Amino acid sequence: MIILDTLFIGGLRFVLEKLAAAVEAERDDDSALREELLAAQMRLELGEITETQFAAVEAELLRGIAEVRARREGEAPAPGALRVTGAEVTLEGDEGEVEPPARPARRRGAKARSPRRR
Amino acid sequence: MRLRFFGGKGGAGKTTLAAASALAEAEAGRRVLVVSTDPAHSLGDALGFSLRGRTRRVPTRRGVLHAVELDADRALGRWMARRRAAFRAIALHGTLLERREVDRLLRLALPGVDELIGLIEVMRLAGTRRHDTVVVDTAPTGHALRLLATPALLARIAEVLDGLYAKHRFLARHLRGEYRPDAADALIAELDDEARALTARLRDPTQTELVWVTLPEVLSLRETAAAVGQLAALGIDVTRVLVNQLTGNKEARRCPACAARRRSERAALAAISSKLAQRPLGVVLAQAREPRNLPSLRALARELAAAGRARAGAPGEWGIEQGSPRPRPPGRRPAARPTARQSRDWLNTLAPPGTRLLLFVGKGGVGKTTCAATAALALAARGGGAVLLVSTDPAHSLGDVLGHEVGDRPRAIPGAPSGLRVQEIDAQAGFHSWRAKHRDELEAALGGPGRAGMRVAFDGDVVRDLLDLTPPGLDELWSVRTLIAAISPPPAGGPRYRLVVVDTAPTGHALRMLAMPDIALAWVRELLALLLRYRQILRPGQLARDLVEISRDLRRFRALLRDGRATRAVLVSRAGHLPMRETERLGRSLRALRIGVSTLILNAMSAAEDRACPRCAEGARGVRPALRSTLDRLVAPAVAPPPRGVRALEAWGRRWTRLAG
Repeated sequence: MIILDTLFIGGLRFVLEKLAAAVEAERDDDSALREELLAAQMRLELGEITETQFAAVEAELLRGIAEVRARREGEAPAPGALRVTGAEVTLEGDEGEVEPPARPARRRGAKARSPRRR
Repeated sequence: MRLRFFGGKGGAGKTTLAAASALAEAEAGRRVLVVSTDPAHSLGDALGFSLRGRTRRVPTRRGVLHAVELDADRALGRWMARRRAAFRAIALHGTLLERREVDRLLRLALPGVDELIGLIEVMRLAGTRRHDTVVVDTAPTGHALRLLATPALLARIAEVLDGLYAKHRFLARHLRGEYRPDAADALIAELDDEARALTARLRDPTQTELVWVTLPEVLSLRETAAAVGQLAALGIDVTRVLVNQLTGNKEARRCPACAARRRSERAALAAISSKLAQRPLGVVLAQAREPRNLPSLRALARELAAAGRARAGAPGEWGIEQGSPRPRPPGRRPAARPTARQSRDWLNTLAPPGTRLLLFVGKGGVGKTTCAATAALALAARGGGAVLLVSTDPAHSLGDVLGHEVGDRPRAIPGAPSGLRVQEIDAQAGFHSWRAKHRDELEAALGGPGRAGMRVAFDGDVVRDLLDLTPPGLDELWSVRTLIAAISPPPAGGPRYRLVVVDTAPTGHALRMLAMPDIALAWVRELLALLLRYRQILRPGQLARDLVEISRDLRRFRALLRDGRATRAVLVSRAGHLPMRETERLGRSLRALRIGVSTLILNAMSAAEDRACPRCAEGARGVRPALRSTLDRLVAPAVAPPPRGVRALEAWGRRWTRLAG
């Protein structure tokens, strides 16, 4: 049982870390915008959008990328400033039933807490 | 049941000899099937019947003879129809794809279909009417080698499918506690068994006989020696080498052109005999008339039987007299003068300014390579920018024609105009090095962790197996890729070619290559659509960027192919009924692909004064349909020995003429 739960929580923690990474990416990184641009190119190639529509989307995304770059050059936050420091999980009731996962810590420099185990 | 393959360079006489051999064996009282696997069929022409994809019974004095020209697309369709559900099950359980997506993928045309299904279909046909012997007339060398290597490919495909299905078996065993093999497992086992059985059969000389047909000329003999080596690497032994269309003593005594031809044949045989000496060699003399009906095939079969008794040895022991008439002094001879007015200004007819892609196409053995090399030398000498001469035939002979080594990277040839670069595409090597370079990236894209940290597409092992697979139709795919690179603006500092002259593979596979952009585009778009749909979890990244670029390139290339001013297809043919018929069919197929055919080169036209000789005259007889053609026509005169090396090619080119009117 303990092994199962440890595995479960370990897995959960992994997912939460990924989420945190994605959040950080949205804020500071232009990679999401670049992926949007790539998707637009794919749509153009597949004939799902016209050249004109693509040009509009491209202009919008390039502006966004330029903004991100300007912001990054302005404040330049330390890399890896946002970290998952813990996940709080309560296990109740029947086996296998699990509460929705706790939200990840969001504040910078939040104190690490150990996940609770049964 | 015994299998007898006839392989060899295009135009060596595979089809005619296969038909003669099948007819003789049937009339010895056995049940025989003769089947052609070359996408450009001429078996019907040789037998004097229209076959059109159906199995027909050929009237024989004794025994039973069936003949069929294999229709690979239909054969694959039929094979697939019965296995579609199993393929679908594997794809659904082994990937993330939805049923609709899987069905779309399963409907796409496959590259390399002739080689993929050829052997399987031959075995199926052989089984239906209980034949004692199946005679297979294969496509010219390069693709015959691919066909004979199919069993290994089938085994690899079975492995990949097995890997894809392993996940499903694992889950079923854990969720249900047991796993019962289903139709998908049966399909995987069938493919694997078929691969094993075919391998064993091809390697067993008591079940399979492999006759390699060659002409007594340098290119054909060199190609034969190379093919014998490549087949040995596959564990397949060439049973017999047949030297076909040898000029006889009788003709050589009477006709100076035949005497010169015979001398060059003897020199070529002497040069290569040490390499082929261990194989039983047979010799078939040139027939005064093209064999193209049953009586003439019977006569040829008698000669074939006699050739079977000949053994290896020095050329002098092959029934060739050592003495021969004195050579006519070399010099300007009047070129063929069929009926029309002639002009020497052929270069602008062949490639008017603005031509980007000049495709030399034709039946095997008509002299595509020699003509393409001659034209490229003249075009490079005209100046105005770099010219690339590139061969897309997996059995290359550009190096032999130019008398200088040529490789996979474009290179200059000593003595040739400085603007000329020459390349022989090596699809296998090119693909392997590309794969090695992109391996990590592909593994990451297909099997690496996606956005949610799951292994999204496939298991790592499956991805590795998939990447190890050499795709069917690789020669055509890689040729298209190379041609696109050659006509595109250079990335940095490389040469920009004003004109690319392509020496294509013989008819059938040249057509497959020219149809490849459409097939590849369909696959690329399907993959792009999938990546787009799953981009939230798959992270398309570099793979998607590459596919977008490939898709653009393919569309541009297709547009170029269909632009009649930029792309010109040049039909090369010899005079003669069978070559002319195949040339006409080829012209129609090219037009169906919306590729403009501009010029017809009549190669090796015998000179007017040689027409007293029946053999030389036969060649000129078949020229009449060409004279009715509305294409621009060039005449390249017959010379013996055929021109080899830059200087000889340039000299030969100066004797080409344009037929007017």
